[in-house]
Formats: sequence, C-alpha cells, structure tokens
Amino acid sequence: MPDFARAQLNRQRANLALFLGPALVLLACFFIAPVVVDLALAFTNMDRTLAVTAFTLENFERMATRDSRLLASLGITAVFVLSTLAIFNVTFALLLALMTTAVPRAAGAFFRAVWLLPRMSPSVVYALLWAWVVDPNERGLLNQILVHVLGAAPVDLRNNAPMLVIILANGFIGASLGMIIFTSAIRSIPEHLFHAARADGAGSLAIVRHIIFPALRWPISYMTIHQTLSLLVSFEYILLITGGGPFYDTTVFSLYAYRRAFENGQYAYGAALSLILIVIGVVAALLMWRLMDMRRLLQPPRIEVH
Amino acid sequence: MDVGGALPAVKAPRPDWLALARRARITRRAAQSTLLAVLLLVSIPIILPYFWMVVISLTARSGGVSTRVLWSGCAVIVPAVLIYTTIHVLTPSRRLRLVAGVVMSAIGAVLLGALVGTDLHFANYRFLWNPNIVEEIRSKATAGGQFPSVWIAFRNSLALALSQTAIILAVASLAGYYISRFAFRGREAFLQGMLVLHAFPAMTLIIPIFLILHWVGLLDTIAGVMLVLATIELPFYVFVMKGFFDGVPWDIEMSAMTDGATRRQAFWMVVLPHVRVGLIAVAVFAFIRAWEEYIFVRTMLIENKNWVMSLYLFWVSDDIMGVDYGIVAAVSVFYVLPSLLLYVFCQRYLTQMTIGGIRG
Repeated sequence: MPDFARAQLNRQRANLALFLGPALVLLACFFIAPVVVDLALAFTNMDRTLAVTAFTLENFERMATRDSRLLASLGITAVFVLSTLAIFNVTFALLLALMTTAVPRAAGAFFRAVWLLPRMSPSVVYALLWAWVVDPNERGLLNQILVHVLGAAPVDLRNNAPMLVIILANGFIGASLGMIIFTSAIRSIPEHLFHAARADGAGSLAIVRHIIFPALRWPISYMTIHQTLSLLVSFEYILLITGGGPFYDTTVFSLYAYRRAFENGQYAYGAALSLILIVIGVVAALLMWRLMDMRRLLQPPRIEVH
Repeated sequence: MDVGGALPAVKAPRPDWLALARRARITRRAAQSTLLAVLLLVSIPIILPYFWMVVISLTARSGGVSTRVLWSGCAVIVPAVLIYTTIHVLTPSRRLRLVAGVVMSAIGAVLLGALVGTDLHFANYRFLWNPNIVEEIRSKATAGGQFPSVWIAFRNSLALALSQTAIILAVASLAGYYISRFAFRGREAFLQGMLVLHAFPAMTLIIPIFLILHWVGLLDTIAGVMLVLATIELPFYVFVMKGFFDGVPWDIEMSAMTDGATRRQAFWMVVLPHVRVGLIAVAVFAFIRAWEEYIFVRTMLIENKNWVMSLYLFWVSDDIMGVDYGIVAAVSVFYVLPSLLLYVFCQRYLTQMTIGGIRG
C-alpha cells in the first residue's frame, strides 16, 4: 500500500475515533450493555442479595402461570394508556394546536408556553401540585372549588378514583408534545392554500377538514406510536402521585416491574418483566423508523475530505 | 332579489362594502374572543395549581393554610387580566395597550396589597438559612440527622446537571458533526441504529443499569448517575445536533479548507460557531432535564449527602407534608425556579430544535 494511502486511512480511523468514539463508548456501556444484561438476568434467580446462583426458566413460568397480579396490571395498563392517549395526547393536543394557531401569534405562543409549563417543571413539583389539588380535606384546591363555588360535597379522588387522577396528571403533560409537533406541521402548510380555500368559500371547519387534516396525517400517526410507547414505559408520575396504590390499583405494567425489583428485591423477575417492554420498545421503534423521512436523514454527506 | 318582476333585476343594488367589512370584522373578533376564552378556560387547571403553590409558600403558617388569600388574589388578578385583554383586543394602538397594562397592574398591586398584604411572610423560606428545618419541626428524636442542608442538595443538583450538560454538548456535537459530514463504511446502519435507540425507551433498562453501576462501583455516586443520564438521552441530542450541522452550508467549510485548515480546525473554528444556537438549545434542554430527574436518582442515589434537589423535596414532603404545608411549598418554589427562568428566557432557542425529519 502506498504511503499516502496508508496515511489517509490512518487519518480516517483517527477521525472516526475522535468524533464518534465518545458516543460509541457511552452508548455501548449504558445502553447496549444493559439490554444484554437484562436479557441474561431474566434467566437467573437474582434476589435482593444481588447474587446469581442458578440459571432458570422459573421467571417466565411464573409470569405465564402463577402471577395473578400481572394480569390485573396489564388491564390497568391498557385502560391507562388508551384513555390518556385518546383523550389527551392526540385529541386534546390536536385541539390545542388548532386553537393556538387560530388566535393571534402572541396569544398562541402564550398558551403553548402555559401548556409546556408542566413538562418543564420538575416531576416531584408537578406531583406535589396534584397532591394539593386532589387533597381529600377541605383545603384541597378541587374541594375548595366544589364546596364553595358549586356547593357540592368534598371528594377524595386519590382513593376513590385513582385511575382518573393518573390519567389527568399524565394527560396534562402528554398533550404538550403533540401540541408542539402539530403546531409546527400546521405552520408549515403554505399560506396560499388557506387563502385559496377562503376565496372558494370554505368555512373554518372545511379548512380544518380538507387542508389541515391531510397535512397532519403523518405527524398524527408518528405521535400515536411515540406516545403509546412512552405511556407504556413511563411510570414516574404514577409512582410520585399514587405510588401505584391504593394497594396495586394504579400499578401499570412498567411500575409493576419496577416495584418487583426495587420494593420486593426480585431483580431477576423484574428483569424478565422488563424484557417484554424491551421487545415492545424495539418493535415500536422500528415502526416509527418507517414513518421518519429516511431519505433525507440518510442523504450522503457532501464533502469527504478527512 | 327581485322576485316580482318578469325580468331579473336589471340593476343589482350595490353591495354596501363598508357594512360587509364591518360585519366580517365583528364576526372575526367574536370568533377570536371565543377561542381565547376557551383556551383560557382549559388553561385554568394548569395556572391555578402553580398560583396555589406560590400562595401556600408565602402565606401558610405552621399547620394552617389560608384559602382566603388564594381567592382574594384571584378576585383581583382575574378581572385585571380580563380587562386588559379586552382592551388589547379592541384597540390596535400600542400606546393605549401599554397604558392599559401599566394602569391595570398598578390597580392590581394596590388592591392585592390592601387585601392580602398582611398575610404575606417569608418565614416558610427559612430552610434556606436554617439547615435543620425538619428537625425543628418534627423534633430531633424523629428526624435527627436525616436531612442535609438544602444547599448540599442544591450543589449536587447543580453539579449533576452541569456535568451532564457538558458531556452531552461535547459528545453530541462531535458525533452529530461526524454523521452529518463524513462518509464512512456502515454510516447507514449506524444512523438506523441510532434512530432505533432514539425511539427506544431507556426507562425499561433501569434494573440492568442499576446492576451495572453496582458492579463497576458507581452506584450511589453523582458521577454514575451523570454518565447514565447523559447516555440515555444522547441519541436524541445527536440527531438534534446533526440537524443543526446539516443547516450549515458546506461552502464555508470548503473555503476554510482551501485556505489550508484541516478538517478538525474547520470543525472547531468555522462550523462550531455557526451552530451556536443549536449548542445553546441543547445545553438548556439538557440542563432542565437533568435538573428535574427523579426516577434514576431515586434508584441510584441513596446516602443523604448525595441527595439532589428532587430527592430533598421528595423526602421533605414525605416527612412534613401533614404537619407543615408552607415549607414544602417554599422548597418547591425554590426548586422549580431555575428551570422556569431558563425556560422563559431561552424559549426562542428551544423552539429552533427539530427532531430530524418528521414527515409532514
């Protein structure tokens, strides 16, 4: 091999190591390795001593035949994910995007900022706000309104309707991401289409139906998959607001895996439960990947000098 | 329309353009006002709890929360905002709007001072200079030695958020530049893999990550959590940075290199300054995310000298929520403030981030 070619190859390798190396190392250690570890762990009997003494299929057998609480948590997960998604993360997000793009720019930006507030606040603070809202005594914000404004009896939502609380709490956060994505999709519709439609006598609803909705088809399908996945795996607000309770009433599947591992010390069983989520995650990620604009993303770079 | 005549009206009455325009204006204004009212209505459940938190932190005295302040506050602020908004909608004049804003805030401030001024106090914020606040409230026997000073948690949070942000900035801009500009074998496969990781929920990996940190001895250290937090969000930031690098015209790099710069010099001295907006956006976003992190720190930080703000607030609320609302609310306000300030002042940077290539 001639010297200059070898020098160039060396420089290419050095550049690869310099630019991509750090990212590759981090991802290998804390992203790829955990997947492998989880896969192995699911076939062991690790408990709170963190020692592995045997390889076994017991975890999967327990999942399939002996865990009645697992079935209940799957039901809870379905209710939680589907209602939050249908009411807030897609429908309400769409409504917010439509409304905030229809009012003057400054007002629209203000209301979008308000709706992003929960997402930007720390989760512990957000959970505390909910605790103060649904506080069962007369100081709870909701009860103050119910009792003093509407003259109704105070309610204890956290114990009597815990699912409602976690759906609302997650929905208020979930709506904002869809709102942002849909807003930018609406903004990217060429202005002249709206003018043309108006000149042809279209009303507001007809414009929404025939101009905005077609433009939102891809963002909506993308958001639906993205949000299904993130609702399926996220249990942060549930853990903070209800702790999965009362008893196991709001323990969704991902929280169930977490509680098994970190509350009961059944790390191997928790890992086996997570394995299901990991498989779902990979499938959904591949699905989303079909919806992305791959051609633009994979466009070859234009300078190849190293 | 002329119905009576045999012939259609020879001369259609000239439309009253002014009246039509007026009607259109009124309809439009009515529609806009309705929309604004609806938006305001659905936003109340968000605004009111934040306001309630601030009110509790400023008025609660050990044990009791006065709900009177909340509603008198609302009774002053809501009409003031409504009047101002109405004026804003009715007049296009910038001067009038400004005058209306100043007048309404002045009236509001005076009324608030008269109605609730005597209830306001800062005693709930005494945790800032009294490190043993929980002991003071719950007696030394029950809470002795459990709680560090809030400033230790604050310092830990700051260290975690800043170092995580620095790692993300460095690693994501290097990798983003490389996949934006260089052709290498396996580039397509690498990009596809990154996309899958970007969409993949890292929360599901919390159990194995916990074990890996335990095995390498980084469990219960800020450094361990920092590496984990930086990594699980990395694919997202790499794509964000790639998007910004894609937007830099390649001619400027080319001309730098014809002038004799190496590729690395061109990256460092020419291209990087061009993506300043992207770097700021990524930094702000990463900082806010690390500042608010709860689940991972809850799982991986145990000793109270390693507590970050989220853990401090969680344990304070866990311990004294039943006894003293005011302190909990005050800690919340103190904790949420940096995030909110960053968010409010850097919003124009954050809105420039695009998650590369969503079709639509």
